[in-house]
Amino acid sequence: MDDVASQSIMIGILAAGIRLATPFLLAALGEMFVQRSGVYNLGVEGVMLMGAFLGFFVTLTAGNPYMGLLTSLAIGAVMGLLMGLVSVTLKAEQGISGIGLYMLGWGLSGLFYRLYVGGITGIEGLQPQPIPLLEKIPVLGPVLFQHNIIVYLAFLLVPLAWVVLFKTSWGLKVRAVGTTPEAADTLGVSVDKVRYQCLILGSMLAGLAGAALTVGNTHMFADNITAGRGFIAIALVYFGRWNPWGILAGSLLFSMADSFQLFVQVLGIQFPYELAVIMPYVVTIIALAVTFGRVWAPAALGRPYERGSRG
Amino acid sequence: MQWKKHKTWLIQTGILAGALAGALLVGALFLVLAKSDPLTAYGVLFSGPFSSQFGFTETLVRATPLLLVGLGIIISFRSGIINIGGEGQILMGAVAAAAVALALPGVPALIALPLVFLSGALAGAFWGGIAGWLKARLQVNEILSTVMLNQIAAQIYLFLIRGFLIDPQEVAYGTGVPQTALLPDGLWLERLIPGSRLHTGFLLAVALAVVVYIFLWKTPIGFRLRAVGAGPEASRYAGISVSLYTVLAMALAGGMAGMAGAVEVAGLHHRALEDISAGYGFSGIVAALFGRLHPIGAIPASILMGALILGADMMQRAVNVPAAIVIAIQGLIILFVVSSDILLRKPEYLNRLKKRFFPMKGGAQSNG
Amino acid sequence: MKKPSWIRRVALGMVALFTVGLVAGCGGGQQAAAPKAEEKVKIALILPSTIDDAAWAQSMYEGIKAVETKMGKDKLELRVSERLSKPVDAGAAIRQAASEGFSIVIAHGSQYQSVVQEVAKEFPKTTFAYGTGFQSGPNIFAYDPQAQEGAYLLGFLAGKLTKSNIVGIVGPVEAGDAIKYNKGFEQGVKAANPEAKLRIAYTGSFGDIVKAGELAKTHMDAGADVITGSSQQSVGGIKAVAAKPGAYWLSTDMDQSSLAPETVLAAQAYNWEKVVTKMIELRKAGTLGGQHLTISFAEGNLDLKINPKLADKIPADVKAAVDKAKDEIVKGALKIEVSSK
Repeated sequence: MDDVASQSIMIGILAAGIRLATPFLLAALGEMFVQRSGVYNLGVEGVMLMGAFLGFFVTLTAGNPYMGLLTSLAIGAVMGLLMGLVSVTLKAEQGISGIGLYMLGWGLSGLFYRLYVGGITGIEGLQPQPIPLLEKIPVLGPVLFQHNIIVYLAFLLVPLAWVVLFKTSWGLKVRAVGTTPEAADTLGVSVDKVRYQCLILGSMLAGLAGAALTVGNTHMFADNITAGRGFIAIALVYFGRWNPWGILAGSLLFSMADSFQLFVQVLGIQFPYELAVIMPYVVTIIALAVTFGRVWAPAALGRPYERGSRG
Repeated sequence: MQWKKHKTWLIQTGILAGALAGALLVGALFLVLAKSDPLTAYGVLFSGPFSSQFGFTETLVRATPLLLVGLGIIISFRSGIINIGGEGQILMGAVAAAAVALALPGVPALIALPLVFLSGALAGAFWGGIAGWLKARLQVNEILSTVMLNQIAAQIYLFLIRGFLIDPQEVAYGTGVPQTALLPDGLWLERLIPGSRLHTGFLLAVALAVVVYIFLWKTPIGFRLRAVGAGPEASRYAGISVSLYTVLAMALAGGMAGMAGAVEVAGLHHRALEDISAGYGFSGIVAALFGRLHPIGAIPASILMGALILGADMMQRAVNVPAAIVIAIQGLIILFVVSSDILLRKPEYLNRLKKRFFPMKGGAQSNG
Repeated sequence: MKKPSWIRRVALGMVALFTVGLVAGCGGGQQAAAPKAEEKVKIALILPSTIDDAAWAQSMYEGIKAVETKMGKDKLELRVSERLSKPVDAGAAIRQAASEGFSIVIAHGSQYQSVVQEVAKEFPKTTFAYGTGFQSGPNIFAYDPQAQEGAYLLGFLAGKLTKSNIVGIVGPVEAGDAIKYNKGFEQGVKAANPEAKLRIAYTGSFGDIVKAGELAKTHMDAGADVITGSSQQSVGGIKAVAAKPGAYWLSTDMDQSSLAPETVLAAQAYNWEKVVTKMIELRKAGTLGGQHLTISFAEGNLDLKINPKLADKIPADVKAAVDKAKDEIVKGALKIEVSSK
């Protein structure tokens, strides 16, 4: 193979890795805030599906992808509110309520799709918006700077999330509520309120992650289009140890491994394709296993807070 | 005293019924959107699983793997581990069971069948044990590892049943459906009711529920597992090897899920085929939690889950609504029931909520 | 920890319910359908995915709907059960349909072979059909689309039309119909253009359209300019190819050109209307099953559809060669081998 072709393939792999990482990054950053506040939301997949459908649907009917994105944020907020009601106010077991939220989101997105769209339909969707000048940089340009707006947004959110979490007073509250809710409560921080805020924020990002798949990437909707990506995003929060940079590393590792295995298959290297398909999962486990060390997790994770109770 | 007890009972049953009613009420909205009649639909949802031999046996057909997976979930949860790797563990158990069964043609069932179950359980235990070991030795969070291991197992499973375990007939005819050959019929579990698919695997699952109960509450190993779950630090001081019991808990959980896979192979499908895990790895978690993480409670809970899955399916067919509605209503039921749990645990919370949302009327009919 | 008392309560309730269920259940036995005096053809359709998947399931659904239109709405009753990819649920749905007196139960997937064989024995008066499959029975029709035939012609087109000499397949899982399709396609490419390279890759799932799209993009990044693929995820591939000018997609299962009129060059489409009509007629004549229904060019129930919008992109000599190959397949002069190894 000549140099030009191999270079274009390499650019292809890296650009695809960036594209594939986007939904993971958005959903995982959102889930990071949720878990930092002491709640885990296993329903990310359901929120993503609702965001994916409504983002698609509004884009289809209103003809404006940005309206679609806003709608996906809005439905995310609604789903987050619902999860808050169940998991924070009613203090339900979070693992199980998350599965409920997932099934509700999956079922409803499929139902609305059947009732109001009725078949595979394409939308204009978001088009790539190359960034002037930067896109001209060899290799780096096509890899990083020729994507649609959600991709840029997802990557810009990484430092932003870091600043919010570690450098603002709200971030401090979030971390306090997730590690020592009793102490936070004593200091006058409303545990429930902060958890609601995180659930709403996190679910908005999950909704946007769904829209990244439909409005941003495929320009259509199909039943269960997320295909398990919400669960991967949750796993990536653990991989990233509840830190935006860790999540960025995990998302990129997973997605790059995925785009790499597609390329390996396409070039016809002879071995069972199943091995290629599982590569990103294996790589992720190994990467975490070999970098083990002090493991930290939000101490109150999964524990509903009840005033006056310990445990 | 007696009356008060009864009254609490009434309230608790009422709360559960109320939660279910609430879920169905919201679900009715979806049914109306889908232009169907909620009353007819719900009629089928409730009567379907219980009003015919078909419904009754099919409910138990689903309850069997749900219970087995649920028992594993109970062991792991009680030991402080969240096992969401049931799907992968079922697949590993199923493929190992099928492989062993097919490798033993002519061996009498009395010898072969225990080997089939053992291999299924061991394969599941191995797959679960990986996650346990990763957690105990390398501190890899089990949610991360089991999510990944599910995907890996799905591909390995497919690779095996489309590869060297594939039914030779599928190759000969060029159809290539990924499934193993049928097991020798001596290894098929007995059907309990002729003309139905209900098999002795259900009895096996119920028996195992009792075994798990005795194991967890009446044996020293079970005690230590629960101690680790209750407080790893304290157990460590008490001289319990937390990492050993972490691996053991995950292996046992995986073993039960693997057993579910083996039972599905020997009892229901008589071969390993695609999608055999059927989501039981997740719905088994719900069944276990509905059963209050108690092995005996898991029996009615998994029957209830089985009825819910089947009834919703029958409802979809009876009123011809999109299948997606079934998933949505199941999600609603889970959300409502799990939310009502607080009122079961803490009846006084009912009043607190009342006061909060209806400050005018609240507190008058107090009844803790 | 004191709590299991309510568990006991629930358990008692369940036992009571089941006793009632058992008693009620034993009362009503299985009713048998009377095949002769049927006024209405009652068809139950069991689908692994959904009726709007733009592929395998939708093609069958539309085929039966076409039969319904022809026969009249009062002459045919159709009940659809979707999303039955899980064999346990499919088994229940098939059994329920048979016991409720549906005269023809179509289990539309090769994975249903096992359950159909089992249930058919218990309902000897009901006609069952499933496919892709080979195992018929006294009351089972096994239908068998010769996916490799159309695939050969599509591969031939691909081989002739590729400018880069690289053709790609976006595969779901290397099994069943996908193997047949890929093998036929491969032979077509080779026959048309020995220089051309065919690259096959799989997503590992049937329904992940995002991944199918990425795989199609990877193919194009690696130089492919004509791409094909099967299963319901292929719409993802089509959309991805449509975003790149000058690249073409070739469809199978049904004509997908409406999804991307500028991209889908041609399609292999199964004519289920004819297949289902044949089943209905055979049953009317007293044949409940036992036949292997082939879907092929020779049977006239397999179509090659060229997208009229793009017909001018196919040179006349290529078109003629495709027609000739099709003719030879019909006559049996050209056989497309699929048996593996």
